[in-house]
Amino acid sequence: MHELHHLPMPAVIDLTQKEVAEDIIRRQSEAGPKFKKITSLLAVLFAVGIVSIVMRIADGFGDRNTWGYHAAIFGYMLITAQSAVLVSIGLRMVKAHWRRPLARVSELFAIVGVLNFIIYIPLLWVLPSSEGRLSLWFDFPGNSPHIWDTVTMFTLVITGLALLYFAAIPDIAAMRDSETGTNNGRYKRFAMGWKGTDRQWTLLNAGIGVLGGFYFLMLIFAHTMISVDFSMSLIPGWKDAIFPTFHALSGIQSGIATVIVTLFILRRYGGLSTYIEIDQFWGLSKILIATCLLWFYFWWSSFFTYWYGRTPAEQAVLNYLMVDTYRPLFMLTWVMCFPAPFLILIWNAVRKTDWGPTLAASIILIGQLCNAMRLYVPAFSIEDVSLHSLKVAPPATMPGLLDIATIVGMLAGAVLVYMLATRLIPILSIWEIKEGMLLQRKRKFLKTELRSLGKPE
Amino acid sequence: MANKSILGLFSTAEAAADATDVLAEAGLGQDSFDVLTGCPYPEGAFGEREQKHHLYVFPFIGAMMGFTVAILLTAGTQIAWPLVTGGKPILALPAMTIITYEGTLLGAVLFTILGIIFESRLPRPILSPYDTRITEGYIGIEVTCEAEWQLEAAENALRKANADDVIR
Amino acid sequence: MQQRVTLTDAEINRDLLRSINENHLWFWLLIGALGSVVLCGFGAAAYMIYTGIGTTGLNRPVLWGFFITNFVFWIGISHAGVMLSAILRLTQAEWRRPATRAAEVLTVFSLMTAMLMPLIHAGRPWRVFYWVFPYDWARGIFPNIRTPLVWDPAAVFTYLTSSILFVYIALVPDIAVARDHVTGWRKPLYTVLSLGWRGTTRQWRLQLIAGILLSAVILPIFVSVHSIVSWDFGMAIAVEAWHSTVFAPYFVIGAVHSGVSGVVTFMIVLRPFFKWQDYIRPEHLDALAKLLIVVATAWFFFFWIEIVFGLYAREAPEVALREMQMLTPPWSWMFVIFLITGYLFPVTAWMFKKVRRSIKWMLITTISVNIGMWLERFLIIVPGLARKQGFTFSWGTYTPSPVEITIVIASFCMVSMLVLLFSKIFPLIPIGDAKEGQILQDYIQIGKRKVPAVLREE
Repeated sequence: MHELHHLPMPAVIDLTQKEVAEDIIRRQSEAGPKFKKITSLLAVLFAVGIVSIVMRIADGFGDRNTWGYHAAIFGYMLITAQSAVLVSIGLRMVKAHWRRPLARVSELFAIVGVLNFIIYIPLLWVLPSSEGRLSLWFDFPGNSPHIWDTVTMFTLVITGLALLYFAAIPDIAAMRDSETGTNNGRYKRFAMGWKGTDRQWTLLNAGIGVLGGFYFLMLIFAHTMISVDFSMSLIPGWKDAIFPTFHALSGIQSGIATVIVTLFILRRYGGLSTYIEIDQFWGLSKILIATCLLWFYFWWSSFFTYWYGRTPAEQAVLNYLMVDTYRPLFMLTWVMCFPAPFLILIWNAVRKTDWGPTLAASIILIGQLCNAMRLYVPAFSIEDVSLHSLKVAPPATMPGLLDIATIVGMLAGAVLVYMLATRLIPILSIWEIKEGMLLQRKRKFLKTELRSLGKPE
Repeated sequence: MANKSILGLFSTAEAAADATDVLAEAGLGQDSFDVLTGCPYPEGAFGEREQKHHLYVFPFIGAMMGFTVAILLTAGTQIAWPLVTGGKPILALPAMTIITYEGTLLGAVLFTILGIIFESRLPRPILSPYDTRITEGYIGIEVTCEAEWQLEAAENALRKANADDVIR
Repeated sequence: MQQRVTLTDAEINRDLLRSINENHLWFWLLIGALGSVVLCGFGAAAYMIYTGIGTTGLNRPVLWGFFITNFVFWIGISHAGVMLSAILRLTQAEWRRPATRAAEVLTVFSLMTAMLMPLIHAGRPWRVFYWVFPYDWARGIFPNIRTPLVWDPAAVFTYLTSSILFVYIALVPDIAVARDHVTGWRKPLYTVLSLGWRGTTRQWRLQLIAGILLSAVILPIFVSVHSIVSWDFGMAIAVEAWHSTVFAPYFVIGAVHSGVSGVVTFMIVLRPFFKWQDYIRPEHLDALAKLLIVVATAWFFFFWIEIVFGLYAREAPEVALREMQMLTPPWSWMFVIFLITGYLFPVTAWMFKKVRRSIKWMLITTISVNIGMWLERFLIIVPGLARKQGFTFSWGTYTPSPVEITIVIASFCMVSMLVLLFSKIFPLIPIGDAKEGQILQDYIQIGKRKVPAVLREE
C-alpha cells in the first residue's frame, strides 16, 4: 500500500470555498444589459403566445383538430423541461461527483413546469370522455383521464418545486448571510432558520432523496398517462404497450439535451466556465448517446412488432403516423433523434468538447419537437375516437398562424420563466460545489497527477 | 543488429519511479525503457512514454466485413430460393436488419480481439527478460539497447537506482 | 460504510489462485453429485429422443413447455455478464471488481446450456441443422430469415462467441499470474494460453481500452439477444398476450434482474468454500442489491404495462387468457408465488440495509428472484398457448413429465458444475482487477475524519 497521505492535496477548483460562494452570489444579484434585452424580447414573444391561446379559447373547444399543436407544445415541455429535472435526481442517486455544477441548472426547470401546467388546463375541455372508447381507464368514470392526469401533473409540479426549494435552502441561507447579495431580508424568511447543523444536513439529504425518488415516479406516471390519454387512446386501433416507455425515454433524452444546451450557454455566455467544465459535457454525452440508442430500440420494438404482425389496425397506425400521412415529420424525427446525434457523439474527441454534445443536443431538441408534433397533432385530428380501428386516416393538419404563435410564444415563455428564476435562486448549487471541493482533491501519484474522489458513504 | 534487453527489479513503485530519473541521467530516455507490472498502474505513473496504437481501426474493419457478409448471406439466399412467408417481401429489410446487425457486431468483436492481441505485441514466444516476481508485486524496468556497452551503462544505472535484482 | 482491506500482491495471488492450487474433497464430491444429476439429464434426453416427444407433457395446443421456458430462463441468466462486466466497467464502478469474471463465466455456460434446450425440444435434434445452416438439398428450401426462430441462433451464437472471447482476453493477465505460480502439467497450458504476457505498459493500456471497447460493442449484442428471444413470442399474432410491442425491453430487463441475482447467488455460495471473505464483502452485496432494486422496479413497471395493454383492447380471447393465468388454479397460485418471490419479497427486503449487507438474506432473496423469474417465463409461455385457439373446445393444458423435470434440474446442475470446473482451471475473481483496486485506494482527511476515496486518472 503506498503511503501517499502525507502529501498535500489541492482542491480541483482553484478558489477557496468563500470565494466560490461570493462569486456565485454576486453573479446572481447582477443582471447585465444583455440579460434585460433578451428577457424583454422573450416577454414580447410570450405575450404573443398568450394572445394566440386566448384567441383559440375564444373560438371554443368544439373542434379538437385546432388544438393539436397546443397539445404538442404541452407534450414537448413535459418531454424537455419537466424531464430535465430528472438529470439532477438521477446523478445524485448514483453519487456522480461531476453532477454538482449542473444540479441547480437542472432543478430550476421545475419552474417551467408551472407554465406547462397552465398550458395543460385548456386541454381538459378538449379531451373527450373515456366512455365508449378504448382507454387506460377501462370502465372507470368517463372523466377519469381528466381527473387523474390533472392530479398527476399537479403533483409533479408541486414535487418539482419542493425539490428545487429544499435543495436550495442552504444557498438561500448563504444569500441571507451574504454581504454582496441584495434583498437579504427576503431570503431570511425563505431560509427557514438554516444554520447548517449536522441534523439539518442529514434531514436535507434524506428529504432531497425522497423528493427526488418521488419526482422520478411521478414523472414516469405523467409520461404514461399523458402519452396514452392525449395521444394513443385518441387514435382508434392503436394499442402499443411500449409507447408510454418510449415517451418517457424521449423525456430522459430531451431532458439531458436541455441541460446540455443550458450548460453550454452558461459556460460560454454566462461566464461560468470555472465551474462548468468539460467533465460535465463528457459525462452527460455518454448518457445521451445511450438514450439515443435506447430511443431507437424502443421505436424499433414498436415498429417491428407492427411490421411483422401485419394486422389491419397496426398497418393503419403505421401508415398514419410513420409511413404515409405524417411521413416527412416522422423522417425528420427519426433522423434527428437517432442517427444524427449518434454519429456526432460516438467520437471521443467530439465528446471532450463543449460544442460537440451541444450540437447533438440541439439536434435532439428539434427532433423531439417534431416527435411531439407527429404524436399529438394526428391524435387530435381524429373526429370519431370511438371507432375500433382507423379505417380512413384524416389528412395531415398543417400549422396555422395561431399554432406557430403558440409554439414560439410558449417556448419563449419557458426560457423567460427560467431566466427570471435565476434572479431568485443562484443558478449553481453553492453548497454542492463546496461539498465537491471537500471530497475531490488532486493527488500526486508517482510521476503523474490523479484525482482523488471521496466516497463518504 | 538485434536489440538487447536488461531487466531491473524493484520492490516498490516509488523506487521504480525514481529509477527512471537515474536512467534519464544516464542518457536512457523514455524511448529506451519499458515498465513491467503485475497490475495496471495509471498512465504516466513511472514517467514512461505514451503508448500509441491503432486499435480503433480493427472494429471498424470487422464491422464492415461482418455487415457485408451478413447482407450477402441474407439477400443472396432469399433471392436464390424465393419463398413468400407471412405476406412479407422476399427481401424484407426489417428482417434482414436483425441478422445484418448481429453479423456486423460479430465482425467487430472478432476483429477487435485480433487487434488487441496484435497491438499488445502478442503472442510472444520468448518471455525473457522476465521474472515471476513481477506478478508478486515487483516492478520491472526493462531497458532495451542496441550495443553491449549501452547495456553495461544500463545495468550500472539500475544498480545505482537500488534495483533489488538485475536480470539479463 | 466501506470495509477496506489492505492486501499485498502475494496475498492476493495466494487467495485467488487457491481454487487452482488446492485440492479439497468437498470440491470433487460436489462435482460428482452435480455430474450425476447432469448424467441423469442426458439420460432422460436420450430416452426422449429415442422414444419420442410423447414422453414429455407437450401436446396441442401447448407445444412449448418446460424446455422453452428453460431456454428463455438461461438466456436471461446470461445477461448478468454484460450487465456487471460491461456496464459497470463503462461507469467505472469500483464495486464491480470481484463480480465481473464470475458474471462473464456464468454468461458463457448459461448460454451453452440455453442452446441445448431448443435442440432437445426439437425431439429430433439433427433436423435442427436443416433450417439453421445454409445449404440446399434436393427439396429446394432454405432457412427463412423472416422468422425469429432463425434470428435466435444468429444472436445467441454472436453473443456466445463474443462472451467467450471477452472472458479469454480479460483472462490473459491472470493466466500469466497462474503461469508464474504453478508447476507440473498446468504450466505449459498456462504458458501457451497466456500468449507470452509480461505486463508491459502497452499491454495493460490495451487491456483497459479493450475492456471499454469490447464492453461498448457487446452491449448492443446483449440488448439484441434477449429482444430477439422475446420476439419468438412477440411476433406471433395467434397466441394471446404474446403480440405486444413491450416484449423486447420487458424480457431484457427481466433477464438483467434474474441474471444479476444469479451471479450474486453464485458468489455467495462460493465465498466460504474458496475463502473469499476479503474480496466479496458486504459493501459489494449492498451495491449489488441497490442495483437490483432499480432493475427490479423497472422490470415491475414493464410487467404492469404488459398486463394493462394486454387487456387494453378488451378482446375476449385475451381476457380469457388472463382469467386463466391469474384467477384459475393452479396457474393463479403460480402467479401469486411468482409475484411474491420475483419482486415483492426480495425488493421489500432489499430496502433494509441489514438485509443488503447480510450474506444469508442476500442468498435467500436472490434465489427467490430466480424462482419467481422462472415461473414468470412459464406463465408467459404456457397459458397463452393453452388458450391459443379461438374455440374453447380446442383449449388445452400442460403438465410436465418426469423427463422434462429431470432435464430442467440437470440444466441447473450443469451450469453449476461447469462454473466450478472453470474455477479449478482459471481464477474466478480477476487478480489484476483486485490488485488495481488496492493501488487506487486512497483517503482524504477532512477535519478529524478520514474519508475513503478512489483515485482516478484526470
